[in-house]
Amino acid sequence: MLNFIVRRLLQVPLVMLALSLLIVGLTQLLTPEQRAAGYIRSDQQAARLEAIIRERGLDAPFITQYGKWLGSTLQGDLGFSRASGQDVTDTIRERLPNTIELTLLTALPILLLGIWLGTLSALNKDKLIDQILRVLTIIGYSLPTFVLGIVLLAVFYGYLGWLPGAGQVNVINQFSIGDLRRYTGLLSLDAALNGRWDIAWDVIQHLILPAATLTVVSAATIVKVMRNNMLEALTSDYVRTARAKGLSNRTVNNKHARRNALLSIVTLGGFLIINLLGGSLITEFIFGYPGVGLWMVDAGLRLDIPAVLGFALLSALIVVVVSTVVDILYGVVDPRVRFD
Amino acid sequence: MKKLAILSTLLLAGAAFAATPKDTFVYQQSADIPTLDPGATYDTSSGSVVENVYETLVTYKGSSARDLQPLLATKWTASNGGKTYTFDLRKNVKFHSGNTMTCRDAEYTFERNLVTNSAESGNWFLSESLLGTGSNASDDKSITWAKIDKAVECNNAGQLVFTLPAVDPAFLAKLAFVGQSIVDSKYAIANGEWKGTEADWKNWVGKDLTGSNLSKNPSGTGAYRIVRRDANTLLAQAFDGYWGTKPAIKNVVFQIVPELAARQQAFLRGDADAIEGGGRAVDQEQVKGKSGVTWVDDLPNVNAGAVFMNEKIADPKVLGSGKLDGKGIPANFFADPNVRRAFSYAFGYDQYTRDVNAGKGKQRTMLLPEIFPGYDTKVKTYKFDAAAAKRYFQRAFGGQVWKNGFVLTANYRAGSTPSQTTMEILKRNIESLNPKFKVNIQAKQWSEMLSSARAGKEAMIRFDWVPDYADPDNFMYTFYASDGFYAPRANFKDAQVDAWLKQARTIPNGPQRNRLYSLVANRAYEQAPYIIVPAGVNYMFFRNNLVGASAANYNPLISFDLGTFWKNLSKK
Repeated sequence: MLNFIVRRLLQVPLVMLALSLLIVGLTQLLTPEQRAAGYIRSDQQAARLEAIIRERGLDAPFITQYGKWLGSTLQGDLGFSRASGQDVTDTIRERLPNTIELTLLTALPILLLGIWLGTLSALNKDKLIDQILRVLTIIGYSLPTFVLGIVLLAVFYGYLGWLPGAGQVNVINQFSIGDLRRYTGLLSLDAALNGRWDIAWDVIQHLILPAATLTVVSAATIVKVMRNNMLEALTSDYVRTARAKGLSNRTVNNKHARRNALLSIVTLGGFLIINLLGGSLITEFIFGYPGVGLWMVDAGLRLDIPAVLGFALLSALIVVVVSTVVDILYGVVDPRVRFD
Repeated sequence: MKKLAILSTLLLAGAAFAATPKDTFVYQQSADIPTLDPGATYDTSSGSVVENVYETLVTYKGSSARDLQPLLATKWTASNGGKTYTFDLRKNVKFHSGNTMTCRDAEYTFERNLVTNSAESGNWFLSESLLGTGSNASDDKSITWAKIDKAVECNNAGQLVFTLPAVDPAFLAKLAFVGQSIVDSKYAIANGEWKGTEADWKNWVGKDLTGSNLSKNPSGTGAYRIVRRDANTLLAQAFDGYWGTKPAIKNVVFQIVPELAARQQAFLRGDADAIEGGGRAVDQEQVKGKSGVTWVDDLPNVNAGAVFMNEKIADPKVLGSGKLDGKGIPANFFADPNVRRAFSYAFGYDQYTRDVNAGKGKQRTMLLPEIFPGYDTKVKTYKFDAAAAKRYFQRAFGGQVWKNGFVLTANYRAGSTPSQTTMEILKRNIESLNPKFKVNIQAKQWSEMLSSARAGKEAMIRFDWVPDYADPDNFMYTFYASDGFYAPRANFKDAQVDAWLKQARTIPNGPQRNRLYSLVANRAYEQAPYIIVPAGVNYMFFRNNLVGASAANYNPLISFDLGTFWKNLSKK
């Protein structure tokens, strides 16, 4: 097992090298002027386009530009992100815990809700509950995140005033969070560990609407897949055999059918967590939530190459770690799967 | 039901924390704040914070864009025929670090700006004044350390002395630019910035200071000091050691909220005292007239926009056939003033104001905002006049334009509604004059347009200019001089205009200079090098308990949306 994990982690530098070559290579498809425009924020700055190209070395050969990036990266310097106004490493250090916090609050409800509703729907195939769930699934599946987010914000913040709006904490707590001793980087947890339950609760309140938006959209996919898997499992030979042996419906459904149906949910769950950790771009944008997704939206729009490359490194690491965990879970769910 | 009631109570209890306290000002905007280093500040988002954390030697007097008053200086004198400026500096001014400001800090600041002068900063115009070139030492080898050192020095009396190579009437106004704010030299050097000596100056030439150590940990003399800055929030607090009047607002919160709907909700609920809006049409519809909102309109606007008619089009691809045969245009199509006048008469000025500025706008007589000295209201303007446009087209190129027609390709900046509307109005009006006239308009990415326009490859485009400093030269020379910033894009050259503009550069603001600018504007009316796009008027809105933001207090040269400094705000 340890060998397997180490082998997977050793893949990260290789994946990163390939990704960086691809990304830096793709940027070369843009003219130096187009790349220089990423540094410009006003018409006045545009006056010195050629000087910007020269100073940034944007007209240098590909190998020179790539070598410069690689040299800095190997020294632990991922560069300065113009989108965040910080070094890339500082930006990741600051924003990734926020995204993890949102992921933690979102992933479990999505998976539990998706599995439960998918199972319920399959076990009640073609009955009213199944019809209702299928309609809701289609709605959730096809509802644009942007629309849902705005509606939730307008209703629960703007109209009812039950939940806070954009951001991570309210104005008063903004001034206090700098004094918190940071243990984990997760603001709600750190606030609780500091005994500041008011801040912890404030953070959680700010997370409810983004989490709800993500849950509605993503749970629909899990429900759909879980329903199909369960239906397939319920008609399989081993389930028929189990029933023939006289096992109760509950045992057959839970221990035989659902366990097998869960196999592809483990994979899907892995993708879900990769997506959430990689930043839920639109949701973070709507709710002004300071995660990596929001940063990446801005970085992409502004051709912030150091930020994009830094984010690619982070994504590669997330993909390798999560898919390793998924593979391990496979072994837990299905003992036939073994690692050499 | 009981659980729901508990949940609702908890939620409401949390939401109750959201109201903004009386001593706290909350502002939400979409843009990030790229830098807090004055030496790199050249965008309004950064400027709106830096101008409250740092201070310049001189500043604008109230809402005036013409009059300057001392800030970190107490007085100044010009000598040597206007080529030497000597400043007395304010005593007992503390930086946020606790250091006391000295002349050495001011000298360090300006030398640092001259040394670095990166392409993305606004230091080029300081360099033009003090070194006679806008370039840095990498691009202009004539710049030496000795030149930089001599340009700004402290004398034995502790006064700051600038020595200019030539008279520059705009010099004082340039010093009011936020990018020329005085930095804390001891603190900067201790934090790894340039040492301020010849020893390492070459390592700092052209260096981008956007992410400098000073940007990360600023120390200015301003009324507010930065206490925390994270991914989406910037917190500032009133500086206890501030030399001036203590501000009423103790805390300032800048939140970055990219989504307009979220900002609007926060504003209308009172969780934000002011926000970045979504443009006049949207704000009038969704914010104006709502409960708790104060709306202030008809504020001065210092943006000047023009449609450029390139008199020497360098790209054969936009010329079609390249001839006046009805299938294209020759490269010198706009060199005939009759063509330019015809286009000027064909533009729908009132329609533009209606469509883009919701009826709130005015047509200017020249490409200079009316609040600047030198603006002449008496210069004639073009109005939409189809008959006059037809008359001039019939005269153009000895009648060939009218007889054969043309196909013109005009580009606009993708995503810019004003630019798109400008071109659509022109297209419709021109094509209605003669069925042989065809105007193709197409969206183009800004980056492409920047380079192609600079290379003189665009036939017809729209560009805008906002001032760097409050001097008419920043507009007049920029637009009308044949070696001005926009020259390669329009290729307008008039020897008499050039002479007037050069002469104006040697004369301080006053009747003589104003007369020269009037002459330029009248000549420009005759020659019609640009279609002058009507200017909108500015507006602002904020929660009605906010005091200090008003039309009388609004200065369009201050970066912050409310047109005043944070220290002038309070709440009732």
